[in-house]
Amino acid sequence: MSGDLRIGGIRRGDSVEFTFEGERIVAQKGETIAMALWAHGQRVLRNSSRDGGPRAVLCNMGVCYECLVRIDGAVVRACMTEVENGMSVLRGGKP
Amino acid sequence: MSAPTCETPATIDADVGIVGAGPGGMAAALRIAEAGLSVVILDEGSRPGGQIFRQLPDGFVHANPPAEPPSHDAGHDLLHAISGATVRIEQRATVWDATPPRGDEPGRLWFEQGSASRLLRCKAIVLAPGALDRCVPFPGWTLPGVITAGAAQVMVRGYGIKPGARAVVAGSGPLLLPTVTALASAGVKVVAALEAAPRIAALRALPGVLRSGARLREAMFYARQLWRTGVTLQFSHAVFAAEGDGCVQRAVIGKLDREGNPIRSSAKSIDVDVVCTGYGLVPSIEIGQRLGCKAVWNEARGGWHIEALSFGATNVERVFAVGEIAGIGGSEVAIAEGHATGAMVAGILQQRPVLSALRDRATSVRRAADAMLRAFVVPKGVFSLAGDDTIVCRCEDVSAACVRDAARLHGDSLRAIKMGCRAGMGPCQGRMCTPNVQAIATRGSCQQWDEPVAQVPLKPVRTQTILSAPTK
Ligand SMILES: Cc1cc2nc3c(=O)[nH]c(=O)nc-3n(C[C@H](O)[C@H](O)[C@H](O)COP(=O)(O)OP(=O)(O)OC[C@H]3O[C@@H](n4cnc5c(N)ncnc54)[C@H](O)[C@@H]3O)c2cc1C
Ligand code: FES
Repeated sequence: MSGDLRIGGIRRGDSVEFTFEGERIVAQKGETIAMALWAHGQRVLRNSSRDGGPRAVLCNMGVCYECLVRIDGAVVRACMTEVENGMSVLRGGKP
Repeated sequence: MSAPTCETPATIDADVGIVGAGPGGMAAALRIAEAGLSVVILDEGSRPGGQIFRQLPDGFVHANPPAEPPSHDAGHDLLHAISGATVRIEQRATVWDATPPRGDEPGRLWFEQGSASRLLRCKAIVLAPGALDRCVPFPGWTLPGVITAGAAQVMVRGYGIKPGARAVVAGSGPLLLPTVTALASAGVKVVAALEAAPRIAALRALPGVLRSGARLREAMFYARQLWRTGVTLQFSHAVFAAEGDGCVQRAVIGKLDREGNPIRSSAKSIDVDVVCTGYGLVPSIEIGQRLGCKAVWNEARGGWHIEALSFGATNVERVFAVGEIAGIGGSEVAIAEGHATGAMVAGILQQRPVLSALRDRATSVRRAADAMLRAFVVPKGVFSLAGDDTIVCRCEDVSAACVRDAARLHGDSLRAIKMGCRAGMGPCQGRMCTPNVQAIATRGSCQQWDEPVAQVPLKPVRTQTILSAPTK
């Protein structure tokens, strides 16, 4: 998946910039980390602790904890955390 | 509704505290505020509306909004009314512990909001935390690109983002229809829409649909949308597996027999980059259990749900349950129950009589929903889709083989089986896997088992939140 998956015809909020694993990502204010990354075709948010397999958004409503990422050492749900300017986000490991 | 600042008091008081700003919580709050009582809703989302009346983020505007189902009119009415009412809504507030009111002691709801640890004290509590998607595991379902039907709707309706280019929607029950509609409206090609129940289920559901004018209008709206998008719902079909290198590239789909077992000879592969799966919903009951409310088992209502009696009362004094927590029923039920319960709560606190008509309406729409949803009880055979190495508990990476082994060793106790294989011990606290562990361990007979137990914190919160929680 590449390109921008944002649906056309929607006026959005201001641009917000953050990094994911060091890569610069431009998002829209109001989007969650998970959605901003998904829109960029970046689905993998963590690797499973046992088989190392890639994991991504499952429920998108804060229930399954498959989307855990790290911000400043804290582990948060990417689908419930809004992007902020200057945020530095890293892949989560074991939930 | 932004994150609290230093001046935000850690402890707040209100006559009534409500958990959840979905249709149930909002309707109850309006009735309570109307009576002149103070009411605070705690909601984890960033905007009110709950799962169904999901709005785009603040500042987003749709130039050409897609057609909405008739049920959303009720949602707009509620959102409009609540914005003008004296209801205080605390958003991004995750409730992680609770105690019921006792005598003159207030009930307490502890919540985390941003980095703040806060407490709401109230004379009565209304629970409206909704439900979550039921997933049935199949090989490859951990691949990025397999999402719940709800997740797909949240992407499209809540954020204006396409889940992918080509999708298959599979599962069971009425929620497949809004999912297909949302995907199509976003320009996603819906390659197949698969309903696990046999065609006869649609006929069985009909009497329940016909009993409610609103539900009939809703069904007709979705029939029209489906026809427009050219997607036909294939009954007795399911996704057998998702495949791909690092993310979903194909899905294997096929027919199910009467019991829901896959007919392997019918399997074929289709190219998709998203699999949306949803076998109905499971009520979120843990907060009710934590407060001491009795849970009962009813498959048509999604399994374990909090037992709500007349006007939403539970067995615990001044604790009420409305909407999906009291059994899956859809938004019409949540609204009707919200109104009835809201009026009753105000009546109790102000020692006034309450109109029985509100209760009668709630009871009647609930019955109609039960009649409809009975037709879509998950066929047991679909639990055999999970192969031995298919992961059942995604947090702890526990495979179906481990669950089956633990079931052989620990026989008849769900708790012992979970301890034996570590399923349900991760951060989602078993919310996603418990129904599947139960179904796989019993080989799908889904017999009623020991009630799940709520753990505290009810949702994982920062250690600091717990340590700094207001105690009074
Ligand atoms: C994604 C999705 C899509 C749906 N689409 C439809 C549809 O199109 N038509 C239909 O009839 N039904 C639909 N449903 C069913 C839906 O659940 C009901 O129709 C309706 O939303 C139920 O209302 P409710 O008030 O019971 O709960 P909900 O609307 O689910 O609201 C519950 C609220 O409580 C909050 N909450 C939960 N736990 C906590 C906590 N611990 N702390 C703080 N807040 C908490 C949640 O964030 C949520 O905002 C959908 C359900 C889901 C999950
Ligand atoms: S995707 Fe399920 S919690 Fe974030």
